[in-house]
Amino acid sequence: MSGSKPDILWSPHHPDRYVICDSELGLYRIGPIGSAEAKPGSLPLSEETAATLLAINSDTPYMKCVAWYPKQEPECLLAVGQANGRVVLTSLGQSHTSTCKELVGKEFVPKHARQCNTLAWNPVDSNLLAAGLDKHRADFSVLIWDISSKLAAESSAAAEKIRLPPTDVDSGSTVTKPLYEIGQNDACLSLCWLLRDPKLLLAGMHRNLAIFDLRNTSQKTFVNTKAIQGVTVDPHFHDRVASFFEGQVAIWDLRKFEKPVLTLTEQPKPLTKVAWCPTRTGLLATLTRDSNIIRLYDMQHTPTPIGDETEPTIIERSVKPCESQIGSFAWHPSSQNRMVVVSAANRVMTDFTVFERISLAWSSTTSLMWACGRHLYDCVEEAVEGAVEKDIATKMRERAQSRYGHDTLQVWRNHLLAGGSDPQLKSLCAEDLELKLPGNKQSLVYSGIKNIVKSSSGTTESRRCWIGSDRQTDVPRYHSEERSLALRLCGWVSRGSDIDVETFLRSLEQEQEWERAAAIALFNLDIRRAIQILNKGAMTDRGDLNLNVVAMALSGYTDEKSSLWREMCSSLRLQLKNPYLCIMFAFLTSEPGAYDGVLYESSVAVRDRVAFACMFLSDAQLPRYIEKLTGEMKDAGNLEGILLTGLTKDGVDLMESYVDITGDVQTASFCMLKGSPGEVLKDPRVQCWIENYRNLLDAWRFWHKRAEFDILRGKLDPSSKPLAQVFVSCNFCGKSISYSGSALPHQGRGFSQYGVSGSPTKSKVTSCPGCRKPLPRCALCLMNMGTPVSNCPGTGKSEEKADLTRENKLAKFNNWFTWCHNCRHGGHAGHMLSWFRDHTECPVSACTCKCMQLDTTGNLVPSDSS
Amino acid sequence: MELHILEHSLKVASIEKEGIQICTHGLIKLAFLASKTRCKFFSLTETPEDYTIIVDEEGFKELPQSEHISVADATWLALNVVSGGGSASSSQPIGVTKIAKSVIAPLADHNISVFMLSTYQTDFILVRERDLPMVTHTLSSEFTLFRVVNGETVAAHNLGVTNGFVKPKLVPRPIIHPLSSPSNMFCVTSLDPDTLPSVATLLMDVMFYSGGPKEPGASGEDSTHIRFFSFSLIEGYISLVMDEQTAQRFPNNVLFTSASGELWKMVRIGGQPLGFDECGIVAQISEPLATADIPAYYISTFKFDHALVPEENIQSVIVALRTKSTAQ
Repeated sequence: MSGSKPDILWSPHHPDRYVICDSELGLYRIGPIGSAEAKPGSLPLSEETAATLLAINSDTPYMKCVAWYPKQEPECLLAVGQANGRVVLTSLGQSHTSTCKELVGKEFVPKHARQCNTLAWNPVDSNLLAAGLDKHRADFSVLIWDISSKLAAESSAAAEKIRLPPTDVDSGSTVTKPLYEIGQNDACLSLCWLLRDPKLLLAGMHRNLAIFDLRNTSQKTFVNTKAIQGVTVDPHFHDRVASFFEGQVAIWDLRKFEKPVLTLTEQPKPLTKVAWCPTRTGLLATLTRDSNIIRLYDMQHTPTPIGDETEPTIIERSVKPCESQIGSFAWHPSSQNRMVVVSAANRVMTDFTVFERISLAWSSTTSLMWACGRHLYDCVEEAVEGAVEKDIATKMRERAQSRYGHDTLQVWRNHLLAGGSDPQLKSLCAEDLELKLPGNKQSLVYSGIKNIVKSSSGTTESRRCWIGSDRQTDVPRYHSEERSLALRLCGWVSRGSDIDVETFLRSLEQEQEWERAAAIALFNLDIRRAIQILNKGAMTDRGDLNLNVVAMALSGYTDEKSSLWREMCSSLRLQLKNPYLCIMFAFLTSEPGAYDGVLYESSVAVRDRVAFACMFLSDAQLPRYIEKLTGEMKDAGNLEGILLTGLTKDGVDLMESYVDITGDVQTASFCMLKGSPGEVLKDPRVQCWIENYRNLLDAWRFWHKRAEFDILRGKLDPSSKPLAQVFVSCNFCGKSISYSGSALPHQGRGFSQYGVSGSPTKSKVTSCPGCRKPLPRCALCLMNMGTPVSNCPGTGKSEEKADLTRENKLAKFNNWFTWCHNCRHGGHAGHMLSWFRDHTECPVSACTCKCMQLDTTGNLVPSDSS
Repeated sequence: MELHILEHSLKVASIEKEGIQICTHGLIKLAFLASKTRCKFFSLTETPEDYTIIVDEEGFKELPQSEHISVADATWLALNVVSGGGSASSSQPIGVTKIAKSVIAPLADHNISVFMLSTYQTDFILVRERDLPMVTHTLSSEFTLFRVVNGETVAAHNLGVTNGFVKPKLVPRPIIHPLSSPSNMFCVTSLDPDTLPSVATLLMDVMFYSGGPKEPGASGEDSTHIRFFSFSLIEGYISLVMDEQTAQRFPNNVLFTSASGELWKMVRIGGQPLGFDECGIVAQISEPLATADIPAYYISTFKFDHALVPEENIQSVIVALRTKSTAQ
């Protein structure tokens, strides 16, 4: 502090005052910058605040340390420790009450002069002022002065034949007899009173940290360490203490004082100040020499006491309150995370608030929470219709409710289950239209057009006439078996080997997709049909009359290269709003084999573009185009691209980018389950989506949906079936009771086999099939538990599977075995459930087990209806 | 009580008065520019005969080689006694007196030669490195032993060698060397390291130019006046021993003075250079003082030993020591 190194102290009671001490003491008041108090002398500290110098005190030279009197009154009393070890009480500002006058100017003089390193007022007994001094061979280093001692020191001083040098004889305000003297022949570098007991003083001595108890000063608890500077108690955890040595901070737990509970990463430069934030738990600020940043360590999430095994999590970050090098800083005593920083030179001050880290979490149901400082914000999706797209979590929840994905017979219906508003989903669902293909082609369906086209061979080229006109086109069309398969996948032609697009056109007409139908008719070289479709479209209610105009334009088609029609159409088509109309003219006006205007019109459905490509691109062009389009789709995560990639590795890549964009693990799970060539399902990404979707369903308490999903999954992916986790074995013979005496290995699908059949026609088995001894009794109805004789060995499994999909289950849940894992009492599930609705303890008399409370999820109700 | 074995490996050297100018560069660097060296332990004591330097290995590198410098061949380790509890009352005697019975006498009994250096802050007992097993063996019963390693204090295990140790001879220790007491009085003091630069020139003057032309004349007036000055900078702490006249040359408020403003008289031990092998010299002096409860500082130099006792006690000291020397 001498000369160059300043320090700051906040007033313990006035939130707007602080003292800067370097060679002198300066008292400042901080206030808003625009206030009336803003006088010419005010110094701006930040954009909003400014400081005014209230008073200066330069009475005390050789200042080494300063401490502010902790009590309200007298308010501005400071203790100053000097280079020669004297401690002087001084004051700043005007309000001099009588107590203050009495105290100001009092000096406390150690027997042997040496530097005073630190001062600490006792926070409770504020008469006690502890001073830590350098080493002297014959003196103590920790002196505790009583500031209220009535200057009776002279008499005792005389008794101790102390010869004061002439300069000191000035007044009776010198106290030479401390109340306590501790730490003989040692040096004290830092001090603080422990908050857990005001009689305890923690001192950083030469090479050790020591706790002194004023009730017995001959005893000390100590630990040898180098980290003895700047001891300071965490105001929020009274057992947590920080101290430092050169560049390293050590954190101590006083209950486990043998070694530091943790040490912070070492800084290259020596530390000068370490301070706990008084307004936030576990935040420690440190400052090193010649630095313009303050490093913050957040120990919020560090458990206290810290175990030896756990690696504590400390979040380290640094803040830069100002450009210049920082001399010192001080936390504001009450304003959250606020500090004042003073520069190393020129006393430039900055008012600075450390911005709190923001932590954020999504719930499984749309809402988003984030916390900043002491504030917690909750962001919930408002049920405003159509304003913005709904969050994916809401969408998935709604879709799960409507059994999206479960309609495996009519896959396209899933699109309606999903709400019917997403074109990508529509295209995805439509793709899987059941295709009954002969034998070996079946496997191709899921491998995507990209692979189908690749294997293309035996392509024939043909030039056909425009239908309804005898003019020969110069447009080559290509045919092959693979191409027609692709066309079918695109939906243009239905089954059968004949390429007949009429059915498809009719269905489009029905859906009033006039433009699309017309375009497809045109691509099938049937201009007349196209015109007819457009006319039809114009004539319907709410029909667009412009379609007639387009039809007229279309009818003027000429294949003459340099005609006005061609020229105008190729330029004006770009102004057409509808992409299908646009590509129609693009097709008509382009050179054969150069259909970029059609192929790269991104607002046209992928399936239509692909079908178009399959008809008009040569064997050389087609795979290149498909490859390129696939790449685009993959990058964009466009589900339409699944048509191209199929449910292959490429499809997983595409789905990955789709999930990255939307977070829709639901669609991804269902889609990939359906595809299910083995390798795809084994892909860790696919497994991850499926697991996440299951967790999501669990989090929503959609347990029935989860179960349905698992059943579906088990059907499509047999390897995912879990092994049986629970077996019921007979008490007497130890054999499983689920099969009548058979030693068949059996897996999964457990519980129904143990139940008693609900149907009266089936006989009950109340004894073990192996040894014929009776099964245990239900604790409530006292009947023996029973098992149905449902399974004839050999046929049992398949039958049972089929049964489960239907409503009539072999065993009602009410008849299931159930028992407590703790007390091992149990009975029929239905009985147990109704018992625990009214009771907390086990139904077996004298058993006090609180079975149901042990089951944490037992009290939750599923939020979906089965 | 704790005994700390410090990590400094020390060399003791003597520089002849005529040869001091070749060493001043190094000495000034060690004394005033501590941040430029890695030296942590430096002490310079000027006596009428020579300059005695005690310095750690890092600091030793700063000194030139010269025929004017003689170095004691052993490497020395510093021991430091720390009173464990804060129980000692303020009336307890200070300095070597405090440790006379517990450290110095037992070491003397085991024929271990010691070299004392008292400072304002504490007392260092220097022992030869090779004597360390013997030292720990001797003192482990009385003290908790600690070794300082890289600044950390760690418990030192007793080296456990007990074989071959000479049985201590518990014989009375008469004072065998002649004593003298110069007439001038001394201050033991310190100063704030931050203020060191402001008095550096004065200190240099005192250290190196005291033997100027005026001085012999001055000392000629009083033949019992002795030229003695000691400066040490050990682990950042400065300690000074100088006579009253020299102290008055310093500005006010720079030197740390005791509230009691005490002054010390010197007892100089030895008529011939004492050498390093003779043991028991410190014990001879400190034991009678401890018995008489008189505080003392003790500074050994290359050739002689010096004890400082409170001015008002000098008569009783003389009586005590005389009894001791005549008792034989």
